[in-house]
Amino acid sequence: MNKKSSKISTSNENYSHLELVNLGKIFFKEKKFIDFRSKGNRSGFEAIKDINLKIEKNTFVSIIGPSGCGKSTLLNLIAGLQAPTSGKIIIDGQAIKGPGPDRGVIFQNYALMPWLTTIQNIEFALNTVFPAKTKADVKERARKYLRMVGLEKASNKFPKELSGGMKQRVAIARALSINPNMLLMDEPFGALDALTRSYLQDELLSIWRKNKVTVVLITHSIEEALLLSDKIVLMSSGPSAIISEEISVDLERPRDREKIEQDPTYLKIKMRLEKHLLRETRAVEEVT
Amino acid sequence: MNKAISTRLTFAVAILSLLIFIILWQVIAQQGLLVKNFPGSFKTIGSLIWWVSDPFFDNGPNDLGIGTNLLISLRRVLIGYSLAVLVAIPLGVLMGMSKLAQSSLNPYVQLLKPVSPLAWLPVGLFVFRNSEITGIFVIFITSIWPTLINTAFGVASINPDYLRVSKSLGASKSITIRRVILPAIMPNILAGMRISMGTAWLVIVAAEMLLGTGIGYFIWNEWNNLSLENIFVAIIIIGFTGFILDQFFGFLQDKFDYSI
Repeated sequence: MNKKSSKISTSNENYSHLELVNLGKIFFKEKKFIDFRSKGNRSGFEAIKDINLKIEKNTFVSIIGPSGCGKSTLLNLIAGLQAPTSGKIIIDGQAIKGPGPDRGVIFQNYALMPWLTTIQNIEFALNTVFPAKTKADVKERARKYLRMVGLEKASNKFPKELSGGMKQRVAIARALSINPNMLLMDEPFGALDALTRSYLQDELLSIWRKNKVTVVLITHSIEEALLLSDKIVLMSSGPSAIISEEISVDLERPRDREKIEQDPTYLKIKMRLEKHLLRETRAVEEVT
Repeated sequence: MNKAISTRLTFAVAILSLLIFIILWQVIAQQGLLVKNFPGSFKTIGSLIWWVSDPFFDNGPNDLGIGTNLLISLRRVLIGYSLAVLVAIPLGVLMGMSKLAQSSLNPYVQLLKPVSPLAWLPVGLFVFRNSEITGIFVIFITSIWPTLINTAFGVASINPDYLRVSKSLGASKSITIRRVILPAIMPNILAGMRISMGTAWLVIVAAEMLLGTGIGYFIWNEWNNLSLENIFVAIIIIGFTGFILDQFFGFLQDKFDYSI
């Protein structure tokens, strides 16, 4: 808790890093591929509505909710990959108009380009964001971030030669290489086995400690949210999902995976989350 | 079974079946079991050796070496095919990316694709008044559809993750097309190019029967000479060339196979 408040006080801005104001998203029609401009008028599927949320600088926030509740939609909106139907997304006091390199995005399926080697994947991001940088600069920086995730030796391997965990580490390196001040993660460890997942969670925490970034993590794992976050945002079941609750996780950092599970605060929040998720999941399952 | 032994066995079986085929052919022809004067395999092989031992002679348009004719056909195919690919890939990308382009161009594609390209031959002759250009034109029309359709399909079914990454980095449309979409759809483009090449190679033979010179005309000419064994020689050469062309694309497809 102390750490969190000290972080906020060091930031010299008086507004939150990220602010969502009455955010809503309705999908009017299904799109087969990304159409660069499209708007429909038909009534559609309302994924989320009236989302209001403030996220402070350099905090770690998890968004948790039953499957299909529009968590990923929310993240896509913050990333600027989709435009909201209503409401505003304000970053550092400015409403965003689209995607930008101030936000690094990490996808569940790693989204590495299979025709590029590990280092080329990172170089692609760097070349796109910093077109003025020289080749040598780009290479050096790409190497630095591969080193950060412990994959310097795999720099000339292709994604298909890497394990799921390694791929996600490359994706993390790629997202951080462009020096964002916000990291948006969409169930980044969902496709990994339990051991790899734990390893990457620890890795992510240590990276987060060294690189000051605000993290928004979408997850459906209560344990993951509790281990990593300063704040957990609970979403209701969709459609028209809303934020039902925000919970501060007042646990000392660094958190130890084993010890934390004995902590009464941990257990109290965990119970609350389980109850909520069960209730919302039941709402989803019993409708169909 | 040991892999080396199995390869050797397959090879032996292939050789054996070829020998049986050659002998059967010879016996059937010799006994006149099919029709009278049907050339046997020995005569055909003799012809093949004769044509292949001096492939590039040129005694006027009705008496060209088989290699010369083959090169004429290959040249027409390569020019018409390359032009088609140069048009098909950008057009396919456009159709895959834009609903507007897709819906305005697709009716023409669907209407023209099932038409035998030979139907365009008179049109070509009328417009160009030149058999060489008409041949290239027919091959162009032949080659365009498979590559165009495969490219458009590739773009439309591209893994959306790649586009999201590109978009989240703020990449321009041009960077997205050049550095994400084109490499991502390389397997589709190559599959289309392979089908295009296969069809072009089929069509050139038929087209050349009507155009003069080339391996197709060679067949027509030998028909006029009633030399069936020379036609078999041409069939073998055409088949072998088509096989090589197809293998080349197979090799390229393996190179650009991103799957595990």
